[in-house]
Amino acid sequence: MARAREEAGDSRLVSGREPSSRIIRVSVKTPQDCQEFMLAENSSVHHFKKQISKRLHCDTNRLVLIFTGKILRDQDILSQRGILDGTTVHLVVRTHLKGTLPGPRTLSGPTGHCTHRSEPSTSESAGMLARLGRLGRLAQSSPDLADFLGQLAQLLMAAPESVVQLLESPVVQGLANEKPANASHAPESSRLVQKPESALKALESLQNPARQQELLQVDKRGLEALKAVPGGDNAMRPVCSDIQQLLLFALAPLVASKGHNPGSELCKEEASPHVNTDPTAIPTALAPARPLVQKVRAGEVTQARCVASNQANPGCGTGMPDVNSGQDLLSQESQQPAGRATVTSQLRPSPSALRRALHVLQKNPTLLHPLAAGSPLRHRMPLLPLLTNPRALQALIQIEKGLQILSKEVPGLAPCLWGPGRPHGTREPPETRGGGQGQRADSVQPTLAVLQLLQALANACSQSTQSSLPSSLLTEGCYQQDLEHLKVMGFANHDANLQALMAAGGDIHAAVERLLGVPEAPVPPADAYSAPPHGEGGGGRGRGGEGK
Amino acid sequence: MEPPNLYPVKLYVYDLSKGLARRLSPIMLGKQLEGIWHTSIVVHKDEFYFGSSGISSCPPGGTLLGPPDSVVDVGSTEVTEELFQEYLSSLGESLFRREAYDVFENNCNTFTNEVAQFLTGRKIPSYITDLPSEILSTWALS
Repeated sequence: MARAREEAGDSRLVSGREPSSRIIRVSVKTPQDCQEFMLAENSSVHHFKKQISKRLHCDTNRLVLIFTGKILRDQDILSQRGILDGTTVHLVVRTHLKGTLPGPRTLSGPTGHCTHRSEPSTSESAGMLARLGRLGRLAQSSPDLADFLGQLAQLLMAAPESVVQLLESPVVQGLANEKPANASHAPESSRLVQKPESALKALESLQNPARQQELLQVDKRGLEALKAVPGGDNAMRPVCSDIQQLLLFALAPLVASKGHNPGSELCKEEASPHVNTDPTAIPTALAPARPLVQKVRAGEVTQARCVASNQANPGCGTGMPDVNSGQDLLSQESQQPAGRATVTSQLRPSPSALRRALHVLQKNPTLLHPLAAGSPLRHRMPLLPLLTNPRALQALIQIEKGLQILSKEVPGLAPCLWGPGRPHGTREPPETRGGGQGQRADSVQPTLAVLQLLQALANACSQSTQSSLPSSLLTEGCYQQDLEHLKVMGFANHDANLQALMAAGGDIHAAVERLLGVPEAPVPPADAYSAPPHGEGGGGRGRGGEGK
Repeated sequence: MEPPNLYPVKLYVYDLSKGLARRLSPIMLGKQLEGIWHTSIVVHKDEFYFGSSGISSCPPGGTLLGPPDSVVDVGSTEVTEELFQEYLSSLGESLFRREAYDVFENNCNTFTNEVAQFLTGRKIPSYITDLPSEILSTWALS
C-alpha cells in the first residue's frame, strides 16, 4: 500500500515526519528467520513495529526490537538509533506480556511455536535460571549470599525433591518463619523453644502444593538440562553434599536446643572456639536455603534478611557431628569419598527422617552436654554422607563400640579421645568382651540415643532413597517388623530392642539373644552368637514370634 | 524515562586442546593454529553455550573446562534476563536445536556469534569463527 509507493523511491513522507526521509531496507532477524522491511529512515519504532506485526500477525506489544544491544522504544526514530540502510535489527516476540500467561507465538516461522513447558530443557532451564537470577538479585544486599544462593539454586536443580523437602521440613520452616528480622541469637533459640510445634503445623498447612509441584516439575527439567551440562554435575555434587550436610547440621542442634536451652547455649559458646574449617559455608549454606524457600513459597524478598540472623546459630551444628559420629575420625576419610558417591545417589534425606532424628535428640538432650563441651577432635565432619549411607552408619556404630572398648581397656585413653566434657568415659555395647559392667546404666543411655539416631536416620534415608539401595530398604523393613516382633515377645524396652537389632544386623534371633544376655551375666568373650542356655530359649521365642 | 540497565556481555574463550594445538598443529596440519576454540557467552551472571545437547547454561566458568583461557569483552546490552531467556528458548527450537549441532557449520562458536550480535550488535573475533574453515582447508589438501 503506502509502502509499495514508497519503494518506488518516492520521497514523500510516510509517517508525517521530516520531508526528506529516505527509504531504507532493514532486516528484521528473529530466531526463526530473517525478513526485510522497507520503510522511511525517519519513521518511528512504533511504526516499524506496526509493519512487523502486520506481516508476522502478532501484537505490536509483543514485539521487542533490539539493535546493537539496545531495546528500541516506540518513540525512537530509526535513524537516530543508527538504523541505516542494510542494517539488521533483532526481534524477539514475547510469548507473554509481562505478568500475563503464556500465549501461542504467532511468528511466521515454520516450526516455531514455543508452547513453553512442553519443550525440552532450554525453556525449563530458562525459566529456572530466570528465577535463580531473581534470587541472585535478591541476595545482592549481602555479597556473601550471592554465590551461595547461586550454589543452592544449582543444588535445587540437581536434587529438587530432596532439597525442597529438606527445606520445607517443618523445622526449617519454623526457623525461617520465626526470624523475620531478628539478628540476635539467644531469642532465636528461645523462640524455637517456645513454638516449634505450632510452627510445624502452621507451615505444613501453609504449603502450597500447587506451586511446589510446579517448582518440582520445572526443577526436574532443569535438572535434566543441567545433567546434560558437561560440568554441571561435577559442580553440583559437592555443593549438594555440602549444603545438605550443613542444613542437617544446623537443624539438629536448633531443635535439640529447644528441649535444652543450656545445651544450646553451650553449643553457641562452643561455636566460637570451635569454628570449624568451613564456618562460612555453614551459615551461608543455610542462609540461602531460607531465602530460597521463602522465595519459592511466598515470593517475598524480605526473608533474605533473616539469613543474616542465622549466621552463628548453625555454628552449633558443629556439636551435631560429634553426637552422631563419636570419634570416628578414622572412618571419616574412608567415608568421605564413599559419602560423596552416596550423596549423589541419595540426595533425599526426608523431612520425616530429620524429624525423627531431631526427636531422638530431643529425648536425649543430655547428648549435647558432653559433645558441646567439645572434643579436641572436632572438626568438620561429613555428616550427611555418613547419615545417608546406612552401611556407613553401621560402620560408625561399630567404630564407636570399638572406641568404647578401647576406653574401657585403657581408661587413660578416654580423656584423650573424648575430651573433658564427656562424663561417660566408659560405655559398652551389649557385646562388649570382658568385664566392667559398672557404668552400664548411665552409659547405655547416650549410646542408645546415638545409635537410635543413627539408625533412625539410616532407615529414613534409605527409605527415601528410591532406587539406589534396595538392600537398605530391606533392612529397614526388617527392623520395623522385628521391632514389632520383639515387642510382642515381651521385650518392652524399645531402645534396647532397637540397639540389639542394629547390633545384630537385623538378625532377630541374635538380637533376642543379645536382649536376653544384656541384663544378666556379661556376655562371655566367646562368640556372642554361640548359644548360651538362655539363647536358645530366646531363639525359640524369636521363632515363635516370627511365626505370627 | 529512566535509562535502562546495561548488562555486560563477555565472551569466554577456551582452548579445547589446552595448548597442544599451538604446538602440534604445524606438524599435524601444516599450518599454525593457535588453539581449538570453544566459546560461550556470559551475561546476567550465567554462562551460555551450545553443544551436542543443545543450549545449556551454568555458572560462569562452571563447565568441565574450568576457567576460560581468555575473556573478551563483547559490550553491553539492555536485554533483560527475561527477554534473553525467551530469545534463547526460541533459538533452541530453531537454529540451535540439539540435533542441529554440527561441529563445523553450526557449533558453539556459531551460537556465541549469533547471541553476541543479538545482545550487542557485535560479532565475536574472527579468529574464532574462522577456525572451521581453517581446519577444513587443511583437510582439503590431504
